Amino acid sequence: MNIAIRINDLNFAHPGGSVPALERVSLTISTGESVALLGPSGAGKTTLLALLDGRLQGWRGRVSVLGAPLDPDQPPPRASRPDTGFVFQEFALVERSTVLRNVLNGRLGRMAPLRALLGSPTPHDLDIARTALTDCGIADLAERRVDSLSGGQRQRVAIARCLAQEPRLILADEPVSNLDPTRAGEVLALLTGAAQARGATALFSSHQPDLARRFAQRIIGMRDGRIAFDVPTSELNDDATAELYREVEPLPGLSLRAVS
Amino acid sequence: MQFGGFGGFVTSALIAGAILWSFATTDVELSRLVSAGPRIADFLGRMFPPDPTVMAEIRKGSAETLRIAILGSLGAVILSIPLAILASETMVSPAVFRPIRTLLAFIRAIPLILVAMLMVGAVGLGPLPGIIAVAFHATGMLAKFYAEAIDGVSRAPIAALESAGAGPLVRLRYAIWPQMAPVVARDTIFRFELNLRESLILGIVGAGGIGFYIQTYVRSFQYDKAASVTMAVVAMVIAIEAINVALRRRFT
Ligand SMILES: Nc1ncnc2c1ncn2[C@@H]1O[C@H](COP(=O)(O)OP(=O)(O)OP(=O)(O)O)[C@@H](O)[C@H]1O
Ligand SMILES: [Mg+2]
Repeated sequence: MNIAIRINDLNFAHPGGSVPALERVSLTISTGESVALLGPSGAGKTTLLALLDGRLQGWRGRVSVLGAPLDPDQPPPRASRPDTGFVFQEFALVERSTVLRNVLNGRLGRMAPLRALLGSPTPHDLDIARTALTDCGIADLAERRVDSLSGGQRQRVAIARCLAQEPRLILADEPVSNLDPTRAGEVLALLTGAAQARGATALFSSHQPDLARRFAQRIIGMRDGRIAFDVPTSELNDDATAELYREVEPLPGLSLRAVS
Repeated sequence: MQFGGFGGFVTSALIAGAILWSFATTDVELSRLVSAGPRIADFLGRMFPPDPTVMAEIRKGSAETLRIAILGSLGAVILSIPLAILASETMVSPAVFRPIRTLLAFIRAIPLILVAMLMVGAVGLGPLPGIIAVAFHATGMLAKFYAEAIDGVSRAPIAALESAGAGPLVRLRYAIWPQMAPVVARDTIFRFELNLRESLILGIVGAGGIGFYIQTYVRSFQYDKAASVTMAVVAMVIAIEAINVALRRRFT
């Protein structure tokens, strides 16, 4: 299989949302690609990523992820969920648990249900978790509680949890938005490098075009729920980027909404 | 609260009416209270000096009350865990949590002493009906508190575990439980304190514990002994309070 994501004419509006969050989105991403998703706030980046993760229902169109079609009305079967890993914009870590425990949480979908419930990871699970910690450069933080970590450290824990899941597709929602430029580069190198080393596909959103250029082979620009451009990184020109982030002219009766 | 205007007048009139009605329909003869002065003095006099020879009974009764409170609390915790899951808005559908919440409200509405009387009728005298009554009564509050703790945690880590393929119970264990644990500890200690206080008097209806001796001594006119036991109860309540204050400080 060499197609990781195939989307045909996808349309979606959030329940209670006044405008469609995704409109006529079509794209195909091959296995092993690293793709960046650019676009201003409210463009629909988080929505598209969450939908690919199987967390949104009630859309129209055709979407298949890792060779299996998504059901527009039902979450995907639990057995298939570990194959898609997600790095959340706000980390979504369990604050009062240790770093190691949080990373092991990424293994829960891979463990036998009873073993997962009883909390007895196999040596294999522990090994994978420790490798993920080492790859993310936080092996020495394993026993620390997450609520004692800095934003950059939490970001690495979130990525380590995702890697411990052994996903074949990594979806990352602004994985470096909380980091200073140096750390941001390191973390994106880590994420895309780990994906490549594992033969996984990576799709990450970002507000930083220069970082997207450095770490993605391909860049998709989104605006107002539509795909504005979809080009190999070498062909991305500054005009297209500037156009993407152009100031919105306030339309009468349409107010900018706060985005979670 | 502000009392003003017509609404204020109606409220005042209702309160005054309720007080007058209570006086008029109850056999409260103030004269009797006045003439009873010497009798009350005599009664109090016979409580002094408290009889210290009942130390053995006090020790035995307090130990039994403590056991009732501990085992009753344990029973309430065990009952509350599944009931809290079923009463949680975020774990089950409204068709499940609504009736369970109503059931818990009913349980809370029945006073402990009433449950204890019924249990004495059902299983006989002794600490067992006390333990069952405390477990039953406390579950009404504890399961509700636990359910609120489940519903009060941050949702994001739960969604993350679901995305990783973890089932509902696994998510409860690894995403919800770590977040709610301090709340559960605080609520459980709070309920244990109430259980201990409330079970001090269970003996009066024959459900075991130190209250049994108060009732026995009052009935047999041994007021000096009753006074000793009452003082022991007061001392225990104060001790419980002090321990609880210390514990609460640790959990905040
Ligand atoms: N839960 C929701 N309910 C209703 N509307 C929503 C919800 N979440 C997002 N939206 C709307 O959907 C649109 C797309 O939002 P989305 O969060 O996908 O944007 P984004 O590109 O991720 O923005 P940002 O860069 O700020 O994270 C916006 O118009 C937003 O207001
Ligand atoms: Mg977003």
